[in-house]
Order: sequence, then structure tokens, then C-alpha cells
Amino acid sequence: MPFPFSAKVPAATLARCFWRSLFLQAAWNRRGMQNLGFAYAIDPALRALYPDPARRRDALGRHLGFFNCHPYTAAAILGGAIHHEERVAAGVEASGAPLAYKATLQGPLAAIGDGFFWTALRPFFGALAALGALLFGWPAVVVVLTIYNAIHLALRIGLFRTGYRQGDAVVGAIAGLCLPVLAERLRLGGAALCGLSAAVIAARADLLMRAGAVLVAVLAAGLGYLALARGARLLPTIYAAILAGTGAALAASRFHGSL
Amino acid sequence: MGLVAGLASVERKGFLQAMLSRPISLATIVGLSLGDVAGGLYVAVPLELLWLGAVNLGAALPVHEALGTAAIAGATVLAAQSLRGMGLSEPALLPAVATLAVILCAPLALLGRRADRLAERWNERLYVRAERELAAGNAAAAARVNLYGLALPFAVGFVLAPLGAWVAVLVVPLAIEQAPGALPALALGWVAFAAFACASGAKAMRAVRASTFYFGAIGVGLCLVLATALASGRS
Repeated sequence: MPFPFSAKVPAATLARCFWRSLFLQAAWNRRGMQNLGFAYAIDPALRALYPDPARRRDALGRHLGFFNCHPYTAAAILGGAIHHEERVAAGVEASGAPLAYKATLQGPLAAIGDGFFWTALRPFFGALAALGALLFGWPAVVVVLTIYNAIHLALRIGLFRTGYRQGDAVVGAIAGLCLPVLAERLRLGGAALCGLSAAVIAARADLLMRAGAVLVAVLAAGLGYLALARGARLLPTIYAAILAGTGAALAASRFHGSL
Repeated sequence: MGLVAGLASVERKGFLQAMLSRPISLATIVGLSLGDVAGGLYVAVPLELLWLGAVNLGAALPVHEALGTAAIAGATVLAAQSLRGMGLSEPALLPAVATLAVILCAPLALLGRRADRLAERWNERLYVRAERELAAGNAAAAARVNLYGLALPFAVGFVLAPLGAWVAVLVVPLAIEQAPGALPALALGWVAFAAFACASGAKAMRAVRASTFYFGAIGVGLCLVLATALASGRS
């Protein structure tokens, strides 16, 4: 029999593929990067599309090749690869089509994912959760993380569905989200949240200790930024900040009796 | 605590990535698991800001912020509990203990990065194994190999985080017992560290005008605090 019984992946199998895509980086390696994760995620779809073990083996073999993308935006490629595998199984496309699709999209979507999720959305929500925790305690952390995950999972599921339904047209759908513009705003907002956190920490220091502690906090926040901007390494600068704060307290107590 | 750190090490890269292994959540969860949510949250805020830029971009490996966080939070909560048990209860205790915990356990984040490199090399063997299974005709086993990659990151968190915290719990109470007068100075060290962590967070934002927004927000924030203090003073 040249073609499978059905060239459509059932909805439950698609859901299973999406669930498995959450393990995309479980066995990240330098040679194939996310290849094992991708093969693991698409395997239920291949099983549904290729009842013939030899064809399933061939299909899985082509997905064991190199693959690397952002773990969130990779959902779009997984959906699109299943879309193309359906066409391969139906005999409409050549077996190389899913690989060409993956090879074309993995770089651009990795750049979009890294630029939006890793260097903008997540740091913004991290800074928001930190400021929220300073002002309102742990409930703020729960609220912020819930919002972040609602956004992140909605985008991940949406990208998977768009990739599956539209195949190559997923590029236009992602471009329509204007993620780079949004990312820049989130980064600036995140920087402002860090500044507000520094102000709250300085104010709390005043409550706990003496007025001199505010000066130490403001200096650490300001000089620390300038040091990092000039290329200082993080760990040594942590020790320098602690040493400076502790030293200032010891010096103040020696010369004035208290800070 | 080992279980929490192990699961966080897995969530951080191998599964989901829903910010559950970020310091702001992890330190709070470690505090909760050790019976002191407030203590965990106390270190969670500066650690989150400090390691805001610890992201996995392409093949570049960031420091293992989850390992460092779990050890620092565990050490802070346990050492503070131990010292309170000895009768110490002044306000400077928690920040002083947290300062010493950071000094002792922060390098674990770098050690964790080395462990991540080791895991990547280990996973190359899994790749070979998957190819072997596929060549033998066992497609399901070849696909399943991916999950074996979760074991090593789990083990790293499970072993190293409690180990780091254990060393700190031995050293910190001993150090504070020897020099109880150093508590206020160490507490100010914590203030400096926490403020520096804000700078680290702002720097991680990688935006051209980030410095303007950061310093502007510090100014606005301090003015608001001052205005609030003046208003409450009048009333």
C-alpha cells in the first residue's frame, strides 16, 4: 500500500505532540542540539501518519538531524513540520519538504524567540515579580508568574496551531505580532522596574538601619551599573559590593560610633 | 530541598521553562519547603535581579542560577533558624546570614555551568544511542532516549544544592557566634548587594536607553519615598 490510511493527524495526537514539545531541550547536545527533543515531540504524529514501520523509521530518522531554535517558537516549526509530514504521507510532497521547512525557519525563529522571550519578556516579568515581592510579598510573585505563563503558553499553543494549519504562512503570522518593537519597550520598562526596586531597597535600608545605609544603597546601585557597563565581571563585583557595604559600616562605627 | 533543586534544574532547560526555576520562584519554594517562606522571599528578590541576564542564548551557557539560588536560599533559611534557636533574634540577623550565604554559595552558579557542559557531552552519547536504536528498527526507543537527558541535570541540582547549603549552614552560625558584633556591618553588606543586584538586572536589559530609564526610576522612586515620608510626618 503506497499511502497510509489517513494523512491527517488526530487532534489528540497533536495535543500529545505539543505536550512532548515541552521536553524539546531535555537532551540538548552540541552535535545535534535539540534534535533528540524534536524527534521525541514529532514521533506520535509520525506513528499516526506512517503505519508502515519502515516509513515511520525513515521519517523519524530525518528528524534526528540537527535542529536548534528557541524552545517557545520551536512550537511553530513543530506544527509546520507535522503539516508537511501530512503532505509527505499523502504523497503530495517529497520527503525532504519537512526538513527544508525546518532548515529555513529555525534560524529566524530562534532569533525572534531569543530577542523577545529571553531578553525582554522574561526579564521584564522577573523584574516585575521582584518589585511586586518587595511591595506586596509572595502573592505578587504568584500573580506575576501566572500572567507570564498565561502569555507564554498562549503564544506557544498559538504558534503550534498556526504552524500546523498554515505551514509556511506561519512567518507572516509571527511578523504580524510586531515582537521586536514590543521587546524594546519591555526592556526599557524592565530597566525602570530595576531602578524602582533599587529605590525601595534604599528606603527599606533607612527603616532598618540609619540614613547612611541609603547612601550605601544608592552608591551600590549607581556604581554597580557603571562597573558592569564597563565590562566588570559579575561574581567579583558581587564580592566588591558586599565588601564595600560591610567596610563602610565598620569604618563608620569606628569613626562615629554608628553608621 | 534536594528534590526541589533537582526539579528546578530540570525545569530550567529540559522541561517547560515557565520561570519556576527562576530565583524569584525557586528561593520562595525552597523557603516554603524549609518552613520559612519569608526567609526564602527575602533572598529571592535580589537573586532574581542579580541573575536577570542568565539566559540560554543559542549554544552559550549562562551561569546555573537555579543551583546558586537553591543553595543560597537553603543556607540562609537553615542558618537563620539555627541562630534563632541559639537565642539570637535581632533585625540584622537575616540580612547578615544572607550575606554570608551569598559569599559562600554564589560560586556554585559557576560550578553548575561546568556541570551543564558535562551534561551536553553526556547527551551526545544519547544521540549515538538514539541512532543505534533507530538502526535496530526500534523507533519508539529512539524517540524515548530524549527523556534520559533529564537525569543528569536533576542529579546535579539534587546533590550540589543541598551540599552547598550544608557547608554554609556549618560555617555561617560558627562565624556569627565568633563575631556577633559584625551583624550590623554584614547587614549593610546585604543592602549593598541587593542594590547592586538591581544594577545587574538593569544592565541585563540590553537596551540602548536602559541606563536613562534605570537612573531615572531610581530618582523618581527616591522622590516618591521622600514625599511619602514627608506627608506621613505632617499628618
